[in-house]
Amino acid sequence: MNLTHHRHRNRRRTTGAVLAGTLALLLAATGCSSKAGGGNGGGAAADGVRTGPGVDARTIKLGALTDLTGPYATLGKSLVQAQQMWADETNAKGGICDRTVEIVVKDHGYDVQKAVTAYADISPDVVALPQVIGSPVVAALLDDIERDRMLTFPQAWAASLLGKDAVQVLGTTYDVDMIAAVDFLTRDKGLKKGDTIGHVYFEGDYGANALEGSTWAARKAGLKVTGQKIQATDTDLSAQVSALHKEGVKAVLISAGPAQTASLVGVAASRGLRVPVVSSAPGFAPQLMKTPAAPALAAMLHIVSAAPAVSSDLPGVQRMVASYQKKYPDSPVDSGVLSGYNAAQLIGADLKKACEAGGLTREDVVKAHRSQKNADTGLGTAQNFSDIDRPASTETYVLRPDAKAVGGVVNAEDAHTAPGVEDYLATR
Amino acid sequence: MSDRLLDGLTSRRAGIALLAVTLCLPPFYLDAFWLRIGLFSMAAAIGAVGLALLTGTAGQLSLGHAFFLAVGAYGYVWLAGEPGPGLPPGLAALLAVLLAGAAGGLFSPVAGRVRGIYLGIATLALVFLGHHVLLTADSVTGGFNGRSVPPLTLGGFTFGAGDPELTVLGVPFGAEERLWFLGLALFAFTWFTARGLLRGRPGRALAALRDSETAAGVMGVDVARHRSAAFVVSSLYAGLAGVLLALAFRRVVPDYFSLALSVDYLAMIVIGGLGSVAGATAGAVFVTALPLLMTRYADQLPLVTAPGSAEGFVGPTEAARYLYGAAIVLVLLYAPDGLHGIVRRARDRVRLRRPRTPGTDPVTSPPQPAAAARSKEHTP
Repeated sequence: MNLTHHRHRNRRRTTGAVLAGTLALLLAATGCSSKAGGGNGGGAAADGVRTGPGVDARTIKLGALTDLTGPYATLGKSLVQAQQMWADETNAKGGICDRTVEIVVKDHGYDVQKAVTAYADISPDVVALPQVIGSPVVAALLDDIERDRMLTFPQAWAASLLGKDAVQVLGTTYDVDMIAAVDFLTRDKGLKKGDTIGHVYFEGDYGANALEGSTWAARKAGLKVTGQKIQATDTDLSAQVSALHKEGVKAVLISAGPAQTASLVGVAASRGLRVPVVSSAPGFAPQLMKTPAAPALAAMLHIVSAAPAVSSDLPGVQRMVASYQKKYPDSPVDSGVLSGYNAAQLIGADLKKACEAGGLTREDVVKAHRSQKNADTGLGTAQNFSDIDRPASTETYVLRPDAKAVGGVVNAEDAHTAPGVEDYLATR
Repeated sequence: MSDRLLDGLTSRRAGIALLAVTLCLPPFYLDAFWLRIGLFSMAAAIGAVGLALLTGTAGQLSLGHAFFLAVGAYGYVWLAGEPGPGLPPGLAALLAVLLAGAAGGLFSPVAGRVRGIYLGIATLALVFLGHHVLLTADSVTGGFNGRSVPPLTLGGFTFGAGDPELTVLGVPFGAEERLWFLGLALFAFTWFTARGLLRGRPGRALAALRDSETAAGVMGVDVARHRSAAFVVSSLYAGLAGVLLALAFRRVVPDYFSLALSVDYLAMIVIGGLGSVAGATAGAVFVTALPLLMTRYADQLPLVTAPGSAEGFVGPTEAARYLYGAAIVLVLLYAPDGLHGIVRRARDRVRLRRPRTPGTDPVTSPPQPAAAARSKEHTP
């Protein structure tokens, strides 16, 4: 008994000692915690440029939250490669502000939780995000981005993303695109007052915003819009085509993904609903021109986009396509390449301007960005970033599928602002 | 004998104290990335404990857990935010948890009638219904883009960045650091209440229900009442997890609360080991943290290339998925009773070896009552 008693006390003493020892050790180690005191609160580098997170005396780090393994993997790959190409080119020319540019790529696979964690991971080390893919991801990060004042170019074009200082929607928004689409239909495809247009759209802000634009433009033109809401998982649109056929539509707008566009056009053609179809920019991918729907697409489809076709004869676009094909001979050149390269160039211009103004902190970069009234990268139309409540551009191209062209599309109409867009933006 | 028990109790208490101290340390060392993973894991653990009660112990298959999480998360955001009643956040959090419980209560008549896989399908409807409502009820849920989450304030202290600025031992305490301690407190609450439930009469009644309703009924267990109570309690925990998740995310979006999330929670309790609180916790950490960590560190592995580079076969995310899949298969192959089962067997082995050391009774000590109760719960 005595023995056990003794052992017991002994044991208690050991555990107590262990506990106290660990505590002391851990508390002592807190002194060495890299988190304690200061951190990289910023300051000035040797060359007098104010620096903050993501910038030191030798490098500027940019972040990309992309999708390389989820539903937008093809787009993600194009964007990442195009932006990497821009970084390599820029560094070969001596970098920006005497610093080399580095892009930190994080793949979230279209998973909100992964994206939010990845953001927490990279945000202390990057100055801006020239690429964020996925509307739900952008939505989940909005508050963090605003709080961190991190200039961000989302790969999403909903008008709900306007009005945020640090978030920049490049080019036009979905609603503006659809106003241009309705204008194209009445002007070029002979739609008259009283006709009905079908609009097939994704549930969510992409579709909702596009429908807003088409409804407004149709009311102005005396047309009627009949909507068909679909989900991202719907890839067979037979039911929607039947419904539109019954309504007697004279044209169809679609704001969905490439798979839905192919299904819609293919089924419509086979059922004798041979009407013009106009798609939002994300609704087309060059891969569609290798599917059985290709002839129907070539005959019926047009695409409204803020960016020109990659096959266009703009010198900037041709130069970019040539170097991209040289660097990545196995990768297709699609609109993602163009938009990724364009975004990278715009960020580059912002960084240069911020550097000239003497600072590369996040605030400096956002300020430099908002002072750009006529940013032209030679890859399409000029953009105005000074008004946060307005789309950066109102000019849209109309594109037409062409299996033989680079990127599967050619320009059908040059960039112009559709009539009524200004009125629309004033009423909104 | 009692001495031995006391002995065990002290070492047990010391173990718990040590664990508590260790769990309090990460905010002082790790950066926001790790703390967020920790927060997500804690929230998942709370939710998984709820599901473990319902599916593991009471044997009611639920695929609707994501719905109850969403009710908790959105309930808090709406009750504490603008537009909404704008209640004090502490009260809003409490009401959101009760709201989730009420949602479970409303669904429990269905749960009382349908069994097994049929109940699973019935709860599936909740997820789709919930997702649709989240997308369309713009004024409450903010629609597709969701709503930002107002930080939790308790007695003038904000669990968010700033207000008041706080520096502990030289470490600036931002949102993640503060939420860590909130998460720990909520998790501890969950841990002790759920264990109390499981080891007490209600737990035994639920386990009896799972094994045979007739037998349980004969023994005097009120079948309908216990079945619906299990649903309500499980929803309450899910609501609590939802509130913590919302706080950790700082913005709630409908796409997160999809069927995949429900399946994740089922995976947590299966991987952890059905029917125990510790198992659900281990499973929650496994399912939540492992993919995130693997994605983060997979590029250190050989043959894995940086994301987006043209050469190479596997990017970090793909590699992480392969590894995660392999880990699940390994766990299920070698530990069919889950992570908790591995630990229990290891502990039993150590315990069997111990009596041979001199100075103890030659008679093998009877198993502690708690352990016995637990191992009984585990028989599938």
